[in-house]
Amino acid sequence: MSRAHDPSGKSNPFSTRFTRPGGIPYRFPPGMSAELLVERLSRNGWRGQILGSHGSGKSALVAALIPAIERAGRQVVLMELHDRQRRLPKNWTQRAGLSRSTAVIVDGCEQLAPWNRWLLKWFCRRRGLGLLVTTHRSLGMPDLLCTSVDLPLAQEIVESLLGDQKLLISPEDVKQRFEVQQGNLREVLFDLYDLYERRRPVRPAL
Amino acid sequence: MKEPLVRIRLDGNGRVYHPGETFSGEYRMEGIALEEIKAVEVSVLWHTEGKGDEDLAVHDFHRLSVENGDQIDPRRPGRFSTVLPNSPLSYRGVLIKIRWCVRVRVFLTRGREVLGEVPFRLGEVLPPRSATFWARARRSEEGVSSNEGSQAAGPERPASPGNGHPPGDDRPLPAAEATVP
Amino acid sequence: MARSFRLYEKKRGNRWTGSKRFGSLGEGLFFAVFFLLGCVGLVFILATQVIPEWRVNHAFVESQCTVLQTRGGEAQIEYSVSGKPHLAWTRTASASDSGGPDQQEGPGRFAEGGRYPCWYDPVDPDVAVLARGYTWWLWLTLSVPISFLLIGGGGLIYTVLSLGKSAERRAARVTRSASRDLSEKTATTRSPFPHVPPADQITDSPGTELAYRLPMAGSPAWTLGLWLAACLPWNGLVSLFAVVAVNSVWEGHPDWIMILFLIPFLAIGIGLIVVFVRQLVLATAIGPTLLEISDQPLYPGGKCDVYLSQTGLLRMNWLEVLLVCDEEATYRHGTNTRTESHRVFQQSVFRRDQLEVQHGMPLAARFAAEVPCGAMHSFKAEHNEVNWKFIVRGEVAGWPNFERSFPVIVCPNGHGISKS
Repeated sequence: MSRAHDPSGKSNPFSTRFTRPGGIPYRFPPGMSAELLVERLSRNGWRGQILGSHGSGKSALVAALIPAIERAGRQVVLMELHDRQRRLPKNWTQRAGLSRSTAVIVDGCEQLAPWNRWLLKWFCRRRGLGLLVTTHRSLGMPDLLCTSVDLPLAQEIVESLLGDQKLLISPEDVKQRFEVQQGNLREVLFDLYDLYERRRPVRPAL
Repeated sequence: MKEPLVRIRLDGNGRVYHPGETFSGEYRMEGIALEEIKAVEVSVLWHTEGKGDEDLAVHDFHRLSVENGDQIDPRRPGRFSTVLPNSPLSYRGVLIKIRWCVRVRVFLTRGREVLGEVPFRLGEVLPPRSATFWARARRSEEGVSSNEGSQAAGPERPASPGNGHPPGDDRPLPAAEATVP
Repeated sequence: MARSFRLYEKKRGNRWTGSKRFGSLGEGLFFAVFFLLGCVGLVFILATQVIPEWRVNHAFVESQCTVLQTRGGEAQIEYSVSGKPHLAWTRTASASDSGGPDQQEGPGRFAEGGRYPCWYDPVDPDVAVLARGYTWWLWLTLSVPISFLLIGGGGLIYTVLSLGKSAERRAARVTRSASRDLSEKTATTRSPFPHVPPADQITDSPGTELAYRLPMAGSPAWTLGLWLAACLPWNGLVSLFAVVAVNSVWEGHPDWIMILFLIPFLAIGIGLIVVFVRQLVLATAIGPTLLEISDQPLYPGGKCDVYLSQTGLLRMNWLEVLLVCDEEATYRHGTNTRTESHRVFQQSVFRRDQLEVQHGMPLAARFAAEVPCGAMHSFKAEHNEVNWKFIVRGEVAGWPNFERSFPVIVCPNGHGISKS
């Protein structure tokens, strides 16, 4: 839900509902768009990897690409791997509708055990499924995009989240947190959540 | 052509309600033609907001559907009514906020939807950072006495007055705390 | 049979079409192998180390011998049994060098031509030793085969008991607490306070001084158990290799590569022992903390009596009881899962400075606590929680501070109205 649609107007703009992947529109590099990336993916036989460090926008890019992939006529199967999850969900290969027009997206693929990664690639190749992964290090697939966040981009994103509450968080605050978190935008936004909470005026109960 | 929207009006004071109270109101559809409507859903729900992933629970849900033969007339207001539960109460914490609201979602032809939502407060929980809360905390602390134990050794210092305080208020910005479950 | 019996089949959908019996058999074989390895290891260590060592110390007969020659850690001795001379090569010290009553002077202490006491095996007089004693680390090595025995034996018993039983019946037998959880979940949905944790776990435990005894979150027994579980197998395995390394030294052919390789593992093993002993001393010196409460659940604006009993043998700089409220939020972003906690309320309800707790004379104190008006109630959802608890914490002279947590439930009062 975007800030503009927040009916209460009292939300912390850095709450997870605003900052989760898909909550913040992905900012494509100049000359790049979701459609162009999908076209590149298609040229690579619907196989590719999104490379980037923690908090650089990989999951956000996936959220931005999914509608474009669906518009290109592919059915999307998305699997998100979380901390220490070394294997894919059980029975995912049994899902109805897996066909040559399916694009499998694995977010956090570097966490899979090497054997499971090999099995995933083999299964997708054997069944003619597309495969797009996000990873911190190259897994030997064609590069689709390398994500990164610089300070101006971080400040732009924070400004868009703040809306009309810019007085509480300054660009200098963003710069300071960006340096401490070494460019991890996710952690910067979490830090700004705490800062916002401390600075916001406390409303009376009634 | 007027932009389609849903207006919701709550009965009572429209802001604060209490557990066990009947929560009711009406909704009106504007800029929506009768033939466009496929279904209407009215839900009374709460959701969390803050630093954690969102939790959401629907307390009351009604669906009217043209397919099921329900009468839906956009010219006339629709009503909703439910008895509010005892918990969870609305809460404006630091990491967690609990917000109650009523949502009316109108499903139109060609896959369109119109959403109306109005928040309300359930209960009168004080925000933990509010001065009123801490004033009451200090009053309750002054009213509490600590008794002598059966084995006293050394001087005893009673719980000092005014020691209830917002913990961590003047902490520096915390480094990221990660605890892997 | 209409067709040959298939032991294993490719899964179709959510159903396995293989044989449950053969699955159980395979499971049983797996545990049997563990059990067998444990048996073999135990028998081997007993037969080659423990029993011979015991016989040396209890069954061997004392005599006098002459050292004919020495080389490395061994000496050739001559002694007589029933008038008949015997020659034997033997080690010049036991591996432990335990310094026991039969321990002679250090290595190199047996001069050629010298007369010394010796002990010979009455069953086989050609076997004799110059030194006796016990190898203390040998007992650690027994932990390895014993753990294999326990795992294998326990698994075998489980497999035999489970043979032919349905998964539901097994789950009902093995996880009785799961059925308790199920009734708790059902209680929550039936509860008049949705998403407020049930107070059953507290109200099920009566106190001796007040109505309810509060359960402690995270018992020190679990911490001790975990450290023990880490300490025993690690040190057991390391000691096996240590035996080989030490033997090589005593035989005069030290295996330096193995010794160097062993050093970091030994250091870790010693560290584990130190931590475990420290935890044990802490747990025993700081005895159980009991906290009882007059009412449960609590309500905002409501008062309750609290009773504290602290046992142990302690000299404390201070002991304090706090009433706190913590918010906990769990979030998953990308591949990270984190839980963050923030204390939104903290109040000291009891404190005593410079106190001494004697063994058998616990500190006991009774005091009152109040949840402030307008406070948020306990709340539990999948990703977010509001938890109330009493915390007993203290500073013990010469030891790290201890802190013990006792969760309580705060329910919203009847109308969600703040009581001023």
